[in-house]
Amino acid sequence: MKKTIVAATVALSAAGFLGVWLYEPGPLGSETVAVAAPVPSAVSSSDGGASEGAERTVDGSVESNRYGTVQVRLVISAEDRISEVRLLQRPTSGRGVAAIPILQEETLTAQSADIDTVSGATSTSESYVKSLQAALDAR
Amino acid sequence: MNHIEQVMGLPVSVDVRAGGDLVDHAIDGVFGWLREVDARFSPFKAGSEVCRYDRGELATSELSADLLEVLSLCDHYERLSGGAFTARLPGRRLDPNAVVKGWAVQRAASLLLAEGLDVFCLNVGGDVVTAGEPEPGRAWRVGIRHPERPGAVCAVVESSGGAVATSAEYERGAHILDGRTGRPPVGLLSVTVAADDLVTADSLATAAFAMGTEGIAWVASQPGCQVLVIDAERQVHRSPGLRLA
Repeated sequence: MKKTIVAATVALSAAGFLGVWLYEPGPLGSETVAVAAPVPSAVSSSDGGASEGAERTVDGSVESNRYGTVQVRLVISAEDRISEVRLLQRPTSGRGVAAIPILQEETLTAQSADIDTVSGATSTSESYVKSLQAALDAR
Repeated sequence: MNHIEQVMGLPVSVDVRAGGDLVDHAIDGVFGWLREVDARFSPFKAGSEVCRYDRGELATSELSADLLEVLSLCDHYERLSGGAFTARLPGRRLDPNAVVKGWAVQRAASLLLAEGLDVFCLNVGGDVVTAGEPEPGRAWRVGIRHPERPGAVCAVVESSGGAVATSAEYERGAHILDGRTGRPPVGLLSVTVAADDLVTADSLATAAFAMGTEGIAWVASQPGCQVLVIDAERQVHRSPGLRLA
């Protein structure tokens, strides 16, 4: 299997960092910082023609657990791609609040030309996954 | 096809660039395996092999080869990190979770490869294993979650035929403890490690995070990995070989 992440290129040492630069938590957009934007390529780019009016929405099931209630709405583009994930219902407090945005992002970027997936400790309410799956199944 | 499900309390997504019954079968195998791991190795399930061993109901000689392998990996990373990484924190039950996840997901990836699937991206709770290229000439692009802004990513790493893991505590609070002190580490916001396999990537990321500031130099000096560390001063420390998209 091809290994593209290899250590052979540079022998690392404690002093082996290429550089240390200031990390900008604010506006993103430099070469080392990128936003997982909502998949513009997946949305019908045409303002008219055959695809007009073809966009549709599919709602997931309403799922509740101790963190709150979640319901997902998918916006499906004319090309039958997920162009947007919205939350019709979401927790308003507690840990579930922090968990939701990253999952929205992951769902959006799963089809993105820019990002395929997201690394980083994620957990969420089972409710989100259930509601999302229900919406996908209903698609 | 892309399949999302919840296993081990984590969202699991499998993105396979192929279709058909073979893929369905392979994905069923992956989820079956992850559920089996959860039942056998969860420190939260009283009947698991881990809990039975911890309570003294099983002798070391009675353990499965899988658990022996996991415990041996735990010992390896404990030594390597000078005790910062440990499955046996004093006063707590045996918890090999820090190794189990990477080990189980890497095994799941080998199940897909054994079924002949060689282009996929497997993500279990933010730990990622990739194979092949989603499109000819381009690697999988793995966004690294922004440590302070949920919903944003702070970098994008390329991976094909490798693994990427990120340790941080924005999601579950202070769940990583420094095994040397028993207290939450200080000094780092997140540690990302890219390596050939997820056992290496995940264990090194967790160990480095547990070490706090000194984990930066430590993880950078480990062979076979590339790292991206964001410290509490919001400085980014990156290995020169890390493939940023």
